[in-house]
Formats: sequence, structure tokens, C-alpha cells
Amino acid sequence: MRVMGRPPLSFAELSERHRDIISVERSRSDRLVVGTMCSYVPVELLHSFGIQPVRIWGQSDDPGKADALLQTFVCPPVRHLMALGLEGRYDFLDGIVHCYTCDATCGLFNIWVRNLRPRFSHLVSLPYTAIDEALAYTMAEFGVLIEKLESFTQTRFSPESLGSSVALYNEARALMKNVYNLKGRGLPISYVDMHAMNVCSQVLPVEAFIAYLRDYLEAAKWTGPASEKRRRFLLSGSVITDNALMAFVEGLGVEIVADDTCLGLRLLQGAIGEGEPLESLARYYLTRPPCASRADFPSRKSYLVETLAEHGIDAVVFVHQKFCDPHLSDHPFLKGVLDEAEIPSMQLELEGEGFTGQARTRIESFLEMLETR
Amino acid sequence: MMEEKRTTKRLQANTALRQVITDFYEDAHRAKAEGRPVGWIPPMNGLIELFYSMDIHPIFPENWAPLCAAIGTNTSNFAHAARRGYSSDLCGYFRNNIGYALDGITGENQPLGGLPEPDFLISFGAGCIPTMKTFQVLCDHFDVPVFKADLPQVAMEDIAPHHIQYGVTQIKRLIEFLEGLTGKRFDIDRLRQAVAYTDEACRTWDEIMDARRAIPAPFSAAEIGIMFVMVTRHGTKIAVDFLRDVLVEVRGKVERGEGVIPDERLRLFWDNIPLWYNMRLFNYFEKWDAVVVAETYTSAWTMRMDPDRPLESIAYKSLVSYPMVSCVSLNKRIELIKKAVSDYGVDGAILHSNMSCKPISMGQLDIQRVLRDELSVPSVMFDGDHMDAGKFSMAQFQTRIDAFMEMLLERKGMR
Repeated sequence: MRVMGRPPLSFAELSERHRDIISVERSRSDRLVVGTMCSYVPVELLHSFGIQPVRIWGQSDDPGKADALLQTFVCPPVRHLMALGLEGRYDFLDGIVHCYTCDATCGLFNIWVRNLRPRFSHLVSLPYTAIDEALAYTMAEFGVLIEKLESFTQTRFSPESLGSSVALYNEARALMKNVYNLKGRGLPISYVDMHAMNVCSQVLPVEAFIAYLRDYLEAAKWTGPASEKRRRFLLSGSVITDNALMAFVEGLGVEIVADDTCLGLRLLQGAIGEGEPLESLARYYLTRPPCASRADFPSRKSYLVETLAEHGIDAVVFVHQKFCDPHLSDHPFLKGVLDEAEIPSMQLELEGEGFTGQARTRIESFLEMLETR
Repeated sequence: MMEEKRTTKRLQANTALRQVITDFYEDAHRAKAEGRPVGWIPPMNGLIELFYSMDIHPIFPENWAPLCAAIGTNTSNFAHAARRGYSSDLCGYFRNNIGYALDGITGENQPLGGLPEPDFLISFGAGCIPTMKTFQVLCDHFDVPVFKADLPQVAMEDIAPHHIQYGVTQIKRLIEFLEGLTGKRFDIDRLRQAVAYTDEACRTWDEIMDARRAIPAPFSAAEIGIMFVMVTRHGTKIAVDFLRDVLVEVRGKVERGEGVIPDERLRLFWDNIPLWYNMRLFNYFEKWDAVVVAETYTSAWTMRMDPDRPLESIAYKSLVSYPMVSCVSLNKRIELIKKAVSDYGVDGAILHSNMSCKPISMGQLDIQRVLRDELSVPSVMFDGDHMDAGKFSMAQFQTRIDAFMEMLLERKGMR
């Protein structure tokens, strides 16, 4: 891989080892590394200051040492991330930035800052609508972050530098969208690989990631399409990280061709427009398809319905984390939307034990049910 | 085991409070019957002043929930929500309110006549996720006009002019919406008057709370129901008059040295929302001559409003009320608790780890550490839920509290 100066690693290997890779890179370079807790953090701004943004999140299993700081009725990924922080797995971070989305992650951000005491921390508060005044507000809100970053990095904000960063992230997102498109057209790309790509987009330097993506797409061109036509699934939820679950679903003769999660296709929709970079950036974050914590029902419905049609979805698997207020609250409504569209769906609720035998049985039953339709 | 004492020293204000509650819901039904608009809105924001200044009756589903818990209709509302597919892990306010609005509202013989159906709704943004989602469900269910209000979540220590300005923008949009709905012109002088009432209510509230510094404390957390006027009657003279009467009564008790407990030995702090279905829990401490003298929840009203800047004032109120008591402003909340411990001479803290409220519960382990390490104040945490009795075990509560109270007495050399 270019980052390491070694033979190329797969997305899966890179994503698996990303913390170690970044930790080693951090010790070799003076580039600041800042953790981000949510996809709404404007990483382009951090990048324009020469900072390497690294998304951090927890798995749905083994919350480990979080008990000292978080109650057991907080969702497993938040507890797991706190545990990773307490174990020192993110000691290489120079700071942390969050954007208010769900209550649990906001609580985590404040508890993280109090207990792990990063050198830099900031909470971005975005509005929930995209009216003109919201744009002005968002630019002012980004302005507060810029001011703090100037002080932290001792570097002046540069619109040109932001423009360059925006161009890089736009390119990365467009290339990633191509990978989704190729899979949608039937190329044998596993969703596990695609998920690993999504993870890499959040944790690797964007320059290296783009180079990797180009190679990946070039190689994919020479791959023939899969011969059999398979059912097309959409995964919906917050942060879905269970590779075993994804592999299991696809192993049952299904293609996961789209997702509606905090780490996938939704982040690739649209591009940051041309024009004044800060204003374009603000507009992008306000108009991106919203997550459960920021959307009202009509917005979630319209995005879901569009995605179902665009990707020819046959069925939806909701993967929810126990105690996840935004997604558990939305589920009955979204299920109603799917029922109306006569698209079958199932809901898995992960309880901090990862992908269990019970979940396997339920997925198998769901597939059997689909066979009989 | 010590025998549980029964308090006989409730405030007289409780009689008046019952009437205030009855009047609030009667007024709502009257407004509905007379064709005046009834709007359902999220709690703890500056919309209430605007509503009253425009003769619109507000309904707060979140305030209806504690009444349901006290009356016992919460369980049937939970069952309605469960039948609709909502997880029992979701906030009890959410489950109660959507269960009620979607199904329970049509039930017969409802206490206080139930809630009048909304003529319009205010959704979403600001407050916690369960509040936001409650209104999304309501907007999907009721076929009425919806105003999309928008207020970002900002830690109160970070509130800057652009936040206030954005809040004012939203309020101006809402005024246009309400003018269109009612066909009436907005009158800023009436809003100034409403803001002045709220300011006076907050000032009086602080004075009432200050009176609890007295030893013995004139009232305990069992009287937290007086907060009803702070939620539902801000912006009106009703709140001011009621609170002034409470203040007179409370000061009288202080002057006469009348406390909840005559020989008060221990003073306690309560963190998080009470168990609305079991308000007698606060009396449980009395067998150790202990009284809860301060709470986090009642601090949500410690603010000042400026009638000369009414729009900015209600924007600020909307921005600050939720972060002040939640983990959005964890550091501020810890400061507030530290101050309360010192101001009220607190011997120990009871932390309700509340399954129904992550924003208030997250950070409690940090709070415990601060109490122990910085203030040498012992604390105890118990698991519960502010709406769902099924998630609270009285036996476990008693086991923890009994040991804790004995330890506090030992610590003060009172055993």
C-alpha cells in the first residue's frame, strides 16, 4: 500500500488494521491526527489545516471497560468506543471533533473529553433545515471551528486550501459511488469489501485512499459480472460493523447493493458544489440525505423510497443497536413505508454480543420466507 | 429495620396546584370548543410565551406523561406503543405520549378530560432525540398543519450571538406561521408582557429554591410538582401569582423554623427526573430524618429574561433549557451540582440512573467522581425509570439506600 510503502493491502486488511497503521504513521510524521465521532463533522475543514481526520466508532460487541463511565443502557457501539478510548487505543489522537447528532454520542463526546483530556476538542452544532438563514448559521458555526483550528495549528485558514481539500473528498466520494454502481451492475464485489472501503474512506489519508480506489476500480474493470441473478438487499441502521453478518447474508445468495447507514452510500450522495468553498461546504452538510438523528419522517421516507427504486431493492434488513433511540423510533414508520411498497423487511437488534446464532437463524428464516413468496 | 415515616407537612400550595392543573386542561378544552387553536409543542422552550401572547393554548405531551404515570394510565399507553412496534427500550415519555396520541386519546372517562387533539404541531429539532421523534410520530399521525422549528443543540457555555440570531430567525418564521393560522396580528408588547411574567416566575422560582437552604428545609423534592407552572404557565400571571403564594408559604415556614423534618439530620441532593409513578419515594428518606433539599431538574428554570429584548430572550430560553440539565453541557451541569452541594449544605447525593433518559443519565459516573474526589460528598446510584415502574425495583432501591443512609449518619457521628 502506498501509505506504508509495502505491497498493496486489501480494503479489508487496511480497515482491520487502521488504528495500528495510523498510530505508526502518527509517530513518524508531525501531521496532527484528530478523531471524529460522526459523519457530519466537516472533515474537509480539518484536512485544509493539514490535519488527518480519523473517524472513530465502536463495534456492537464487547463493551469491556466502559462500565466505569457509561451505564449499560447506552448503546453497545458507544460503550465499546469508550472502552477503546480507555484502553488507550486512540492515544495517538491529537484531538476530537464531534457534530451533535444523537444524544448518546453527544454524551460520549463530553465524557471522552472530561476523562481522556485530548489537546483539542470541539462540538459542531448544525441546524436541521436548509433555509437561507441555516446556511448563514452553519457558516458561522464552521467559523467558530476555524478559529479554534487556527489557534490549535498556528495556521491561518485558507479558502484555497479548503478548495483543494474539497476537490479531494469530492473525488474520493465519486470513486466510491462508482464501486457501488459496479456492484449494482452485477460485478462480484462483496459487501464486506465495500464496507471495508467505506471504513478506509473514514480513516485513511484521503490522498492515499484515492490512489487505492483508482487501482481498485481499474482492476474491477477486468472482472466479469457474476453469472447468477441474486436478490438485492439494502442494509439500514446506524453504524453497522459486523463483517460476519454481512458475509453471512451474502453467503445465502443475496447481494447487499445499497445501504442507509452512518458509514455508506448516504455519505456519497451529491458533491460539494463549486463556488466559495466554505459556503459550498456548509450547503453540502445541510442538504446531504439526513441520518435518523437529523431527519424528519418525510425526509427519511423520500430518501428510502428513492434508494429502493434506484437500486432495485428486493428486501431490507434493519440492523439496529440495542438502546438506539433514533433508529428504534424510526423503525415502525419505515417498516410501514416498506409494507406499503410491498418490500419485505426484517429487523435485527444487536445487544452487545455481536453477530449471534440467533441472528443467523432469523436471517435464514427471512430468506426462506422470501423463497416462498 | 426502621419504620417508614409518613410526612404530614406537605405545602398548602398543593391544594392550589391541583386547581392550576385542572384549570390548564379545562382551558385547553374550552379553547378547542370555542374554535381557538390548540398547538402541541415540545417542552422547555420559549414558544410558550409566544403562544400565550397570541391567545393560542399550548399542550405539552411531555407534561401529560407524568400525569399519566401518577394516574396509572401509562401502562396502557405503553401497551398501545408496543402494539405499534415501538421498542420497550425507548424513553417512557416517548412510549406514553405516542401510545396515548395514537390510540389512548379516544378512550372514555379520561382523567382531566384527556388532551384536546392538536390544531397544529411544532416539530422538530432541539431537545432530546425522544422528544424530536415524538413529534415526528405525531406529525405523521395527525392531519394538521406542521411548523418545522429548528434549533441546534449547543452546550450552554458555547452559546454565541449567531446561535441567538438563528433562534430569533426561527421565532420570526413561527410568528408568520401563527399569524397565518389564527388570522391575528402578532403584538410585540403582549410578548414583552409574557416575557416579563416568565422572568418574574423564574426570579420567584429561584427565591423559593433558595429558601431550601434553611435548616430545617421547608419542603422537599416531594413538592417538585409545583414545577407544573414553570412548564405550562410561563408567560402568564397565573405562574407568577401561584409562585408568589408558594414563596410566602415557604418563607413563613422558614421563619417559624418548620421543616419537612423537625430534627433534620441529613440533607440530600437528587440527580435526574423523579419516578413520577412513585413520588412517595422522596418520603422514604424521612425515617433517617433526611430530606432532599435540591435537585438537578429544578435548576432548568434558573434563567433571566429581558422584556426589552423579547425575541432574543425566548430564543435564549429555547437554546439553554435542555442543555442546562443534560449531558450537552456536562461541565456546566457538574458546576451546577457542585454549587448546589455547597449552597444547600448537602451531606449526600442520590443519583437516579434513568433508563428513560440518556441525556440526563450520561455523565452521572463523572458526577459521582467529582462529588467524591473534589467535594468529599458520598453518593449512591440506583437504576430506575422516570415513567416505567417495571424498570424499578423498590427492594433494590431500599437495599442501596438503607446502607447509604446508615453510612451518612455514621459519617456525621450521628449513630
